[in-house]
Amino acid sequence: MTRLVVIGAGMASGRVLEHLFDAAPGAFEVTLFNAEPRGNYNRIMLSPVLSGEKSYAEIVTHDDAWYAEHGVACRFGERVTGIDRSRKVVTSAGGEVAYDKLILATGSNPFIIPFPGHDLPGVVAYRDLEDTAAMIEAAGTPGASAVVIGGGLLGLEAAAGLRLRGMEVTVLHNTGHLMDRQLDETAGYLLKKDLENRGIRVITSANTKAIEGNGRVERVVLEDGTTLSSDIVVMAVGIRPATHLGQAAGLETGRAIKVDAQMRTSDPDIFAVGECVEFDGTLFGLVAPLYDQAKVLAKTLMGEDDAFRVKELSTKLKVTGCDLFSAGDFTAGEMREDIVYRDPARGIYKRLVIEDDRLVGAVMYGDTSDSTWFFGLIKDGTDIEEMRDTLIFGPAFQGGGGAAADPLAAVAALPPEAEICGCNGVCKGRIVEAIDGGAASLSDIRAVTKASASCGTCTGLVEQVLAVTMGDAYASPAAQPVCGCTDLTHEDVRRLIKSRELKSQPAVWQELGWTTPNGCHVCRPAINFYLLADWPLDYADDPQSRFVNERNHANIQKDGTYSVMPRMWGGITTPAELRALADAAEKYGVPTVKVTGGQRIDLLGVRKEDLPAIWYDLNQAGMVSGHAYTKGLRTVKTCVGSDWCRFGTQDSTGLGIKLEKVLWGSWTPHKVKLGVSGCPRNCAEATCKDVGIVCVESGYEIGVGGAAGMDVRETEPLAKVATEEEAIAIVTAFVQLYRESAKYLDRPYKWIGKVGLDWVRDQLADAEIRAGLIDRFEISQSVYRKDPWAEHAKPDTARRFHPLADLNVEAAE
Amino acid sequence: MNDVMDPATMTFIQVAEVWVPDGDRLVLEKGNYGNLDAFAAASHKESFARGEGLPGKAWAEGRPIVLKAFDGSYFKRTEAAKEAGLTSAVAVPVFAGKVLKAVLVVLCGDDDARTGAIEVWKETDGVLRLEDGYYGAAKHFEWVSQHTHFPRGQGLPGGVWAAGTPILMRDLGSGYRFVRADSAEKAGLSTGIGLPMPAPDGATFVLTLLSARGTPIARRFEIWEARAARAGSPREATLTDGICEREGPLWAEENPPVSPKTATAWQGPIGQVLGSGLPFVKTDGVGLPAGYRSMVALPIWRGDDLAHVVAWYL
Repeated sequence: MTRLVVIGAGMASGRVLEHLFDAAPGAFEVTLFNAEPRGNYNRIMLSPVLSGEKSYAEIVTHDDAWYAEHGVACRFGERVTGIDRSRKVVTSAGGEVAYDKLILATGSNPFIIPFPGHDLPGVVAYRDLEDTAAMIEAAGTPGASAVVIGGGLLGLEAAAGLRLRGMEVTVLHNTGHLMDRQLDETAGYLLKKDLENRGIRVITSANTKAIEGNGRVERVVLEDGTTLSSDIVVMAVGIRPATHLGQAAGLETGRAIKVDAQMRTSDPDIFAVGECVEFDGTLFGLVAPLYDQAKVLAKTLMGEDDAFRVKELSTKLKVTGCDLFSAGDFTAGEMREDIVYRDPARGIYKRLVIEDDRLVGAVMYGDTSDSTWFFGLIKDGTDIEEMRDTLIFGPAFQGGGGAAADPLAAVAALPPEAEICGCNGVCKGRIVEAIDGGAASLSDIRAVTKASASCGTCTGLVEQVLAVTMGDAYASPAAQPVCGCTDLTHEDVRRLIKSRELKSQPAVWQELGWTTPNGCHVCRPAINFYLLADWPLDYADDPQSRFVNERNHANIQKDGTYSVMPRMWGGITTPAELRALADAAEKYGVPTVKVTGGQRIDLLGVRKEDLPAIWYDLNQAGMVSGHAYTKGLRTVKTCVGSDWCRFGTQDSTGLGIKLEKVLWGSWTPHKVKLGVSGCPRNCAEATCKDVGIVCVESGYEIGVGGAAGMDVRETEPLAKVATEEEAIAIVTAFVQLYRESAKYLDRPYKWIGKVGLDWVRDQLADAEIRAGLIDRFEISQSVYRKDPWAEHAKPDTARRFHPLADLNVEAAE
Repeated sequence: MNDVMDPATMTFIQVAEVWVPDGDRLVLEKGNYGNLDAFAAASHKESFARGEGLPGKAWAEGRPIVLKAFDGSYFKRTEAAKEAGLTSAVAVPVFAGKVLKAVLVVLCGDDDARTGAIEVWKETDGVLRLEDGYYGAAKHFEWVSQHTHFPRGQGLPGGVWAAGTPILMRDLGSGYRFVRADSAEKAGLSTGIGLPMPAPDGATFVLTLLSARGTPIARRFEIWEARAARAGSPREATLTDGICEREGPLWAEENPPVSPKTATAWQGPIGQVLGSGLPFVKTDGVGLPAGYRSMVALPIWRGDDLAHVVAWYL
């Protein structure tokens, strides 16, 4: 009989033994060491044990009777301390045991981040039954709270289990979305929403600073100062292969113990299996490859041929009611195509990634019933060209089903009782009745049935019912969708972002049924603006969703250099500022210095890598960005007003400066230019600005909707007020109303043309509405009234501006 | 082990019956009356209009109803129930969207000797509170439950509410920290199953069945996932969780990996639920797992789709 010693009684080695005892009973005399004081149990089912949905007894794989039946000498709770390869013995507290063949199945150790306080009692990893028991114990105290560090598979399962046990749970995850290695942003968003629905608090982009407590964990402190009280801290940030024994024995190791395809280490009589193994540069943490390894190792030990190979893996989260699936590679790439299906009402998201007519990745949330089929297509590299159009609908639609191929055919096939509008409970039959009754357009249907009158996501479906029922008699409306990613118009999107409180890009993509994973270059800047305008405190501006000039805080010129233009408040400058500008121009070899139409000085021809430095120098002289590159407040042009001019009726310069100080830094749907003239002679040309104020003896005439570009328009009178304060209030409220209701890239005159000047006047004339607009503008400005140059002028940020590649191509976009 | 287990001397639920709409009345589809023949005969003669009797009231109100005293109530079979020793009943309406599919009624009695719990939890002000419950002899546990509420995600009711799926919990008392564990242990409660109860008006209800070893509601519980059935042509469900005094855990163990058990429409007892979408009561052992004589299977709908089937066996 071969003397087989196994170190580690985990799932991988347990499977090896099962294969051996099945295929060659009596051939091996097995001694099994385990540092844990127990045999093999189904470790991946610890999460349901934690939640109370399984008992420990149910997850024991090999009990005492099984070991006895197969004559295994169990040395549980006994740690192996060394391997003497020359004498072929292993050493433990109990003495030496000789082997003919040795299996290392030492698994892995949880990774503990060495934050201050990481060694306090109450900080646990999530690896074995002891950890699980500690968590269950902690959950026994009524009202106790837990912090889970790590929003990966294990961390989230721990969080859900602890919550079910009655704890207040917070999950901290250091990147932008949960399970970022397995899920894309949208699936991560849905998962976060699902967990929050369970009463679990989720903080993403969280940086833990320290774990604190007096002799025991009491709280977790984040870098931003947030303090979370905590009776237990679960650290689930990853694992590291346990290679110590193998390394000490002189086996070849890399990140783990290296094995060949037969699971043999660098010593021909020593094998390794499971999480302690490195094969072909790959480490293993999921159970499926471990079982493959076990099968190969058993065959190797029995002298049969087999070879381990790395296969595609899929991910499953064991939280009851959370249906998610991911497999393969779903990063975006030039040669890749995405197919996206979203059903916002049911919370379903499916994304398939195709390359060369083959499915290479899949992410699903909410409905994973077809995941096995998709996983098969990925693993087998099946050519999917023939079924590409219906692929996302799963296997049931393949082979001539056809219902999903043409959306109209699918709608035609719907029975009369099929619900079309979930919000108002309107079925197809009711809409068809309304059409029979004379309704011929979307607005008719909305008026008669209320279908698509609430959230609006069924608008497309209602239109399809109209088309199916009326045929050619139905002319679909001319409303332009935002872009090819959606059928919704800008107006729809703005309304829905507000009414459904969508506060992130993934929320918009999912809840509004975007057909692409992350939008496109057309919709992203618009959505980014709508989100930051409506939710200034909740949504963080996304520079990647901005045009290149806004991203670089400077206007790119046709030779690839940039222009730099500091603010000159109301067109007023000082000798010191002019000196600083002159110095900067000379220092950075600025070829052209231009006085602009907006009463500022433009330094043209600055190299990209010089931008942070020139900004720094101008900052030092007290100047800030003029935002000459933004969809935001540009300049406030003034005349000298009553201070100097014989005709001036009011302090137009002073008012201009005040307005600029209020409005600067704010993002708007398109650029906004102001002018303040001190008398009707209008030297500041205020009557062709987006907002133009003309001072008169009795006060201030405020006009809006002027333009002097390809369209030339005179402002139309908005209001006439007596005091500067009133003028500032009206202008601020007007800008906020424009921010809240205009379509992205509509200048004020275009927006006013759509909503009507009367409506704008009515809104601003209502004192309550006006005060609300001003309040919301101020809240937004608490975030955005700051100099973007200042933060980028720091040396750290400055690196981004050094050319790593020729960025002119990107810039030219 | 023998094929037939020792029959429980006493079970918590004594009668289970399914009432289905027939025109504007509810008629008896099937019932398990044990040896209570007179009550069975009385029931077969009965039918209920909407709002009439216990099944009709559950239909009209669109929510599960617990009735703990028959005398002077709207209960129509009071005399027959009294003679059979039945004192309490719970009616569970099954709605697919706004359409009533059936009403499951269970009847219990012998209150001082039998322990268990059938509870109806309702969401009010953002937490689940006990709407009503029948506990038999578990009086202290009843008191604790009346004074407990569950936020989303917490405890068995809160977990079912948040997950939107049935959940089966083990070892309610011993060692494990079931939110009401201490009291549950004293009452001898061992296994709990929670079911989301969709109401036609959108209100949130959760039904929990807590079983004690001495007077079990069931000795085998199963949760079947039926959502996959909606897309494909073969209406199929998979067994996702379960526990059996005879066979042990019923979930598809991943060590070694085995495929979960499946059921197909109209095939076997679970298949009847998948096919008809109605609750199913079986009173003989045919087609049941070895050792069991009776079963009740309850469909859980999500909107217009059959989402889960929960079954319990004795």
